[in-house]
Amino acid sequence: MFIAFLAPGVLVAIGTIFLPVIYAIHLSFFKAESFISTPIFVGLGNYAQMLSDPLFWIDFANSIAYSIITVALQVVVGVAVAMVLHQEFVGRNLLRGAALAPYILPTVVAAFVWKWLLDASHGLVDAGLLALGLPLVDWFGAYWTAWISIIFVSVWLWAPFVTITFLAGLQTVPDELYEAAELDGAGRWHRFIHITLPVLKPVLMVIVLLRGIFMFSKFDIIWLLTGGGPLQATETLPILAYRKTFATFDVGGGAAVACAMFLFMSGAMSLYFYLFPLDDSQ
Amino acid sequence: MKRRRSPAAKIGLAAVVALVAIYALFPLYWMIISGLRDRPHLYDPKLTPGPFALSSYNTLFGLTDFPTYFMNSVFVSIITTILTVLISVPMAYALVRSQLPGRMLIVRSMLFAYMFPALLLALPIDIFLVRAGLDGTLIGLSVVYLSFTLPLSVWLLWSFFKGFPFAIEEAALVDGCTRLQAVCRVILPIISPAVVTVTIFAFLLAWSDFVFSLILITNDSQRTVPFGLVAIIDMYDTDWGVLMAGATLASIPLIALFMFLSRYFVTGLSMGAVK
Repeated sequence: MFIAFLAPGVLVAIGTIFLPVIYAIHLSFFKAESFISTPIFVGLGNYAQMLSDPLFWIDFANSIAYSIITVALQVVVGVAVAMVLHQEFVGRNLLRGAALAPYILPTVVAAFVWKWLLDASHGLVDAGLLALGLPLVDWFGAYWTAWISIIFVSVWLWAPFVTITFLAGLQTVPDELYEAAELDGAGRWHRFIHITLPVLKPVLMVIVLLRGIFMFSKFDIIWLLTGGGPLQATETLPILAYRKTFATFDVGGGAAVACAMFLFMSGAMSLYFYLFPLDDSQ
Repeated sequence: MKRRRSPAAKIGLAAVVALVAIYALFPLYWMIISGLRDRPHLYDPKLTPGPFALSSYNTLFGLTDFPTYFMNSVFVSIITTILTVLISVPMAYALVRSQLPGRMLIVRSMLFAYMFPALLLALPIDIFLVRAGLDGTLIGLSVVYLSFTLPLSVWLLWSFFKGFPFAIEEAALVDGCTRLQAVCRVILPIISPAVVTVTIFAFLLAWSDFVFSLILITNDSQRTVPFGLVAIIDMYDTDWGVLMAGATLASIPLIALFMFLSRYFVTGLSMGAVK
């Protein structure tokens, strides 16, 4: 009976996950002029070409910088919001719900709302700048402002994960620790640095690793906000893989980038499994 | 921890609370009121709602394919959700209850698979489907969505199930229940909260997906809402009123679920159910 329960799921997983990954690896060894033309085996040719392309390294650096900066800011914002939501005040549960709201929105919705707020000709943010007598900014039009916008929106959208995880962790910190520290005359900030953070270090590790893995492979938010532009200024590896495949129809090249990403991410994923082994106990 | 606050601390806390609320909710507020604002006033930098008009919604429903996109999303999300629940619940149950060798390998692969970049799966699946001449159907899209809803569901259910007292199932059998009665009266009541959680997230992930629909859907009439909104941006010279109306409608099912079933969300979200 158990075999019959497992079989459909295992078959679906093989068909939709395992085989596509194998197929992606297979494709990365072939060169094809289009989706339907006959592929020619080129061995590691696509990889050699990829590694000698400066754009690959720029996009690689962009991906790393994007994930490190957004994860760091998500942790700072998420932890700060969690500390506020941990206080007692009227309407706390309502605010806890509200603070999570961005996280459950479809990425497309978040991207378009912010594109509208940051729109260069009619957006509210630039209207605010105008009212304050400040110079207008074409947010998605230049290198640094485009990056700042992407990072800001990414943090807005995904910091709630840090908030909810850290908040759950905060409830496990024993009150006695804080009371003892308070008797010793430790202030709020000291209690946070010397009690909260050390006790919740494992929680933070999970957060950083999981968010790092997810942010490194983010495609949709950047694609929707800037399309990797202006002029590939905000291009990361997933966008490069997409563009190679669908703009230049270089299927093998796109697959090589995707496989390289996966290889790189496997390191972080293995680290996650090593540090947080699955607990089989009941 | 209860503590007395000085008036200054109270004001400070109130200010911070207000700031958090504005930071999280203002963009949503702006989305809703922009969609409902009369079109000649769309570009007024006025923070209060109004003047109200349904003109953007009329355009959305009258002049774009949004109704089709919406029905496509409903169809795909429901099919994905049903398939996910039907496949993952027995699977997770077997993973917890059986002593089959390799069951931990399956659990581990599921969590591993959930961390995969969507693009790594979507690219080869698309090329395979194009070469096989099977690309671009809604049923196909629903099945492909299992590539991320299934790993997540199996993993979440496994984490829930392993703490459940399934041994009472045996007790029920000993007491003379049939296997079916044991499942209906004993098992279903204890697993239903976990199943509700998984149902919500399978729906949420399928409803929100952009990457797979962008890559796999080629025919405009088969676009789902997230990819459809992009078509609306391309079609009209970025009409923000219409787009915000569409974005509002795309968010409503999720916000409604969240408001009424938030306790199920919290467990799933804190386990990383949304990437």
